[in-house]
Amino acid sequence: MPAGLIIVVMVLALCVAGLFDADSTLRKSNAKGDGWRNEIAKTVASVTDTLHINFLRNSIDSALGKNQGTKIDVEELLRRQAEAEIAASAEAAKKAPELPAPTPATPMKIWVGGDSITQTFGVSFQRITQSTGIFTPTLDYHVSTGLSRPDYYNWPEHLVKDVLPANPSILVIMFGANDGQNMIGANGKVLERTSEPWMTEYRRRVAATMDLLKSPDNQRITIWCGPPPMGPGTKTRGMDQMSYIYWSEAQSRPWIQYFDTWPFFSDSNFVFAASLPNADGVVRGMRQKDNIHFSTVGGDRLSWAVIDRIGKLVDLSAGKVTPPAGQAPPASLVERTEIPPSMPGAE
Amino acid sequence: MLFPTVDFAVFFLVVFTGSWLLRPHKIAWRWFILASSFVFYGWWDWNYLVLLSLSIGINWFLGLAIFRSLTPKGERTNASRWLVRIAVVVNLGILGYFKYFDFFVSTIADKMRSIGISVDAPILNIILPIGISFFIFQAISYVIDIGRGQWRKPLTILDFAVYLSFFAHLVAGPIVRASEFAPQLDVLPDPRYVRSAEAFMLIFRGMFKKVVISSFLAIQIVDPVFANPNAYGPLAVLLAIYAYAIQIYADFSGYTDIAIGVALLLGIRFPQNFDSPYIALSLQDFWSRWHMTLSRWLRDYLYIPLGGNRGSKAMTYRNLFLVMIIGGLWHGANWTFVVWGAIHGSYLVAERIVKEKWKGHELGLPPLVVKAMQWFLVFNVVCLAWVFFRATSVDEAFTLLGRLFASSGSSTGVSLLLILVIVGSVASQFVPQRFPQKAEVWFATWAPALQIAALAGGLVLVDALGPEGIAPFIYFQF
Repeated sequence: MPAGLIIVVMVLALCVAGLFDADSTLRKSNAKGDGWRNEIAKTVASVTDTLHINFLRNSIDSALGKNQGTKIDVEELLRRQAEAEIAASAEAAKKAPELPAPTPATPMKIWVGGDSITQTFGVSFQRITQSTGIFTPTLDYHVSTGLSRPDYYNWPEHLVKDVLPANPSILVIMFGANDGQNMIGANGKVLERTSEPWMTEYRRRVAATMDLLKSPDNQRITIWCGPPPMGPGTKTRGMDQMSYIYWSEAQSRPWIQYFDTWPFFSDSNFVFAASLPNADGVVRGMRQKDNIHFSTVGGDRLSWAVIDRIGKLVDLSAGKVTPPAGQAPPASLVERTEIPPSMPGAE
Repeated sequence: MLFPTVDFAVFFLVVFTGSWLLRPHKIAWRWFILASSFVFYGWWDWNYLVLLSLSIGINWFLGLAIFRSLTPKGERTNASRWLVRIAVVVNLGILGYFKYFDFFVSTIADKMRSIGISVDAPILNIILPIGISFFIFQAISYVIDIGRGQWRKPLTILDFAVYLSFFAHLVAGPIVRASEFAPQLDVLPDPRYVRSAEAFMLIFRGMFKKVVISSFLAIQIVDPVFANPNAYGPLAVLLAIYAYAIQIYADFSGYTDIAIGVALLLGIRFPQNFDSPYIALSLQDFWSRWHMTLSRWLRDYLYIPLGGNRGSKAMTYRNLFLVMIIGGLWHGANWTFVVWGAIHGSYLVAERIVKEKWKGHELGLPPLVVKAMQWFLVFNVVCLAWVFFRATSVDEAFTLLGRLFASSGSSTGVSLLLILVIVGSVASQFVPQRFPQKAEVWFATWAPALQIAALAGGLVLVDALGPEGIAPFIYFQF
């Protein structure tokens, strides 16, 4: 085929595909915050919407069960939850929940979930909590998710519809690694990631999600794990600012216990460390090659640290909760008492 | 800039148009392609361009110096030998610093700790520039070819810069030699006869492999199981191992297909890099089908200089083993890659020994059964080696392999679709080459409007079936 005709074929094929894929392109563009490219994506999506050209692609997505949700309606979920709350809970919710001690005969339901980082950690956590004999764990992670993109995965809705009805006594939750992307604000405007308006909207979503997790009878604790530091070469952004939001929002909610993962995966200067010594002094690789996800060793380390934290809130003496030294972090490692709004050298 | 993105599509439309318009003007075309390649590479990080420029400058200069130090008949001299050694050391030094410094330092520190000496290892957390192994290997092949007198025409600095930085092969190969690439710079291809059907098929096939197959397998089973093997039972682990073999093939050969297709649209033909590797009946056969340009590089610039099979049998075995270990280390600074290379090296040696011992012996089984057994063995050895290639550490690889014999564990992620994708992907390699070639010829007969519809439909399908966002190609990290 002549080169001139190839240009025509390529341009037209890309244009046609671009029109059919306009909604998908806009979703990705919104997430990345492409500036002028985002404006083009919006215009194209608007045209295809008017002409109903997006019908074919949306039908394919629908058949594949993809991108079903488009709006986060936390307020509506909160309203429904408030209606279901029993009257006596208001006063009780001001106090930290006091959970009964689990035993092998009456194990405690514990749920662990979040994004892909929770995948490795969660699988370790599930295995380790199971081995204690006093927990009935459930793992529920969804890769590439968070609170930024409810159009991709609506966590608040999932928590209310699918997680809380099972009535777990403890939830262990971790988000953040995928949240450093642009968001669509309440007024439909794209919020530049980690900008002031972005932080405000993200804080609102975090707060609302935390509120959703409050149980009517004040018999549920959520361990909200902050994200660990990410290593060189990773494109994640704003991890420490997000940690600060989680921590500060947790301060006024007794049912939320913020867990500071950062010191457990960094050196003494709070800088990312791929390899660290466990309690037995042996240095092991804590992260996968991408410097984001945990290795099995890292997952085990975090699991024991979280169990230790739960042990400070609930009597776990009936279970086998003494960690092997080769799996647990050194006893000298402790969480920070206060999370700074931004770490030195952060973007 | 990743191939399956809107950014690249727009970039390529501009490059394609500019390239064909400027092609009659040799110098302007070269500058245009060089600038395009720099934009492509700089899209990740402009700082990388400094390293690429340095590599171009140093290797071009050394190539020229080596050429001038040869005799008029192109024979080697002492000076040329030393200059080649310097060039190789400089290139390996660059590669070593970026790729192996932290590994070397942390290994030494670990060893010292194990004997009770506590040291604060000066880990630099060096970020590996994308594609460094590929362009460094190309540069080494250039200076060595000149030093051997095989390449009798040192390139101008502009031609050398275009050769080393050409965007289609810059970040993940194929590893193209100057002798394959440079002559194409001087040939003016006929713009009336561009091999568009072959190129479009390659690009579509590559995108489907990468965006749909590779991503599906990674998300569905490979990443979860390799991340935490202890949670999974034997079936999930076994399928994850097979799935990774398909994933890495789909990812890397998918990239290569797109790269070859893109270059073809610009009138440049790259060497083939994959030839249905999972149909191999021996490991030697596998290496003549997998990452063929790397195999060729290792053979010509490592195996043969080490003595190849010219010495005793023991020396041949040693050379084979060493080449595979070094080939493993080329992929990355981790003991997992050493083990991967050792498995391949050991098996290649064992294969030679068995072949020699069994020469003339018959098993008494039908040839088809023998072939099936050979295939099964080779495929599973390759898959076993991939476990070490994919694992974060040797310990984790053994943990995963141990789970093959576990009595319990989750089978989350195992589904009929997964099994069909794995089996279908392996089976597709047995499809004779003539079928896709016939499809290309058929596609070429379609009217342009039909081709537009087919290409647009293909793009929509790939985007719909793929995940949100494209993960970088696996081989970018090498």
